[in-house]
Amino acid sequence: MTHWFHRNPLKSTAPVSFNLYGVASSPAANKICNDLRTTRARLLDMFTDATCTPEIMKKSSDEYFALLQGFILPLDGTTQENKLRFIQNFKWTDTLQGNIPSAQQDAVFELVSMAFNVAIWYTKFASRLAGKENITEDEAKDVHKSLKTAAGIFKTLKETHIPRLITPAEKGRDLEPRVIDTYIVQSQAEAQEVTIARAIELKHNASLIAALAFETANFYQKADHTLNTLDPECSSKWKKYLQLKQHFYMAYAHCYHGQTLLAGDKCGEAIRSLQEAEKCYSRAEALCKEYRQMKGPGSTAKPSEQLFFKKLGSFIKNTLEKCQRENGFIYFHKVPAEAPALELKASYGLAEPTPFELPALSAQCTPEVYATFDLTRGPKDDKAKAKHDEEIKPVKEPDLKPQKDTGCVVS
Amino acid sequence: PAIPEGVPGDRTANRDGVLVDEFGLPQIPAT
Repeated sequence: MTHWFHRNPLKSTAPVSFNLYGVASSPAANKICNDLRTTRARLLDMFTDATCTPEIMKKSSDEYFALLQGFILPLDGTTQENKLRFIQNFKWTDTLQGNIPSAQQDAVFELVSMAFNVAIWYTKFASRLAGKENITEDEAKDVHKSLKTAAGIFKTLKETHIPRLITPAEKGRDLEPRVIDTYIVQSQAEAQEVTIARAIELKHNASLIAALAFETANFYQKADHTLNTLDPECSSKWKKYLQLKQHFYMAYAHCYHGQTLLAGDKCGEAIRSLQEAEKCYSRAEALCKEYRQMKGPGSTAKPSEQLFFKKLGSFIKNTLEKCQRENGFIYFHKVPAEAPALELKASYGLAEPTPFELPALSAQCTPEVYATFDLTRGPKDDKAKAKHDEEIKPVKEPDLKPQKDTGCVVS
Repeated sequence: PAIPEGVPGDRTANRDGVLVDEFGLPQIPAT
């Protein structure tokens, strides 16, 4: 299933030296600064390392966040703001805004921007793994788990950490509610796609598959609508992807609902449901073409070339023909003009975001060491300041290697 | 109480009396 998921680019950032020579007035304080620099650089390397696993990512991000919290959490026994929170400037680009960075002198901004990138990495890892030939059950579980982890990170950032920023995010930036909400819902919907594929493989009840596909289509519709008021230049391509997935899963929902109706001897309604599935499927095909011609940020998925996509088309066709045959021989039902309303509620397979927890504060960050950071001495000008207005280079991401398409067998 | 079988974890969970797998699907497909 290579190129099944649309992915926006990773955020990129300017290097941060944490050179607080004047301020960090003890060896222990200097060590914290050095470790911050090295753990940050290592974590940034992991984002583009094709061999990085969720375990390595978790370890690398925990090492950095454990130290970074020494610049955020109150460490002097009072409830006052950490005196180091606003000492260092951080620059980050946004996934939809090219190379134009946002900058804030705030360690919370760094925390949310970096964690956001960690979440994007999880979605990319899931996409790469889903693209493997002959994916195993354990790998399918990892895809599902990674997407739920990503959803959980986005959600926790939105609810807990982003509200702490002094400067609110500008329109179209990653940390604004519309963009982050879309990422949350997209990650959940994609996790459910894995579950739908598994439910089909394991021959689960048609009503279960129809309900889950219907809710997934609604997730995609919600995600698409969330981006409605954003600048089309940066969001149209992404929106097109969300729309094509919405129609694809709506086709699934009508197709499997048709089977449930047929099983209940409602052949006329079943035919109408399958005709609706055909309509949604054709719309999804048309949207795939439009999506591929769109310009905008992000990789271009090719869902209509995938077996999983094509198989649905022939499945709808065959099921419709079967229903029509049976109606001609057995039922003689009138086919209703209106498609049966889908009022399906999924009881199984909905993907909940996995709660994201920051690691414990690093043992290096004690109140005693904190006291040796002396703000009155002012940090030395470092080279990063001289480079203040430089454009940030985009992250060079590893390519997706096309592999033999096996039609997403995840059982 | 009886000794629990297997190890605690996310492989199975009880949801409304139905055992589900890690994807939240019933462990026994009800086709």
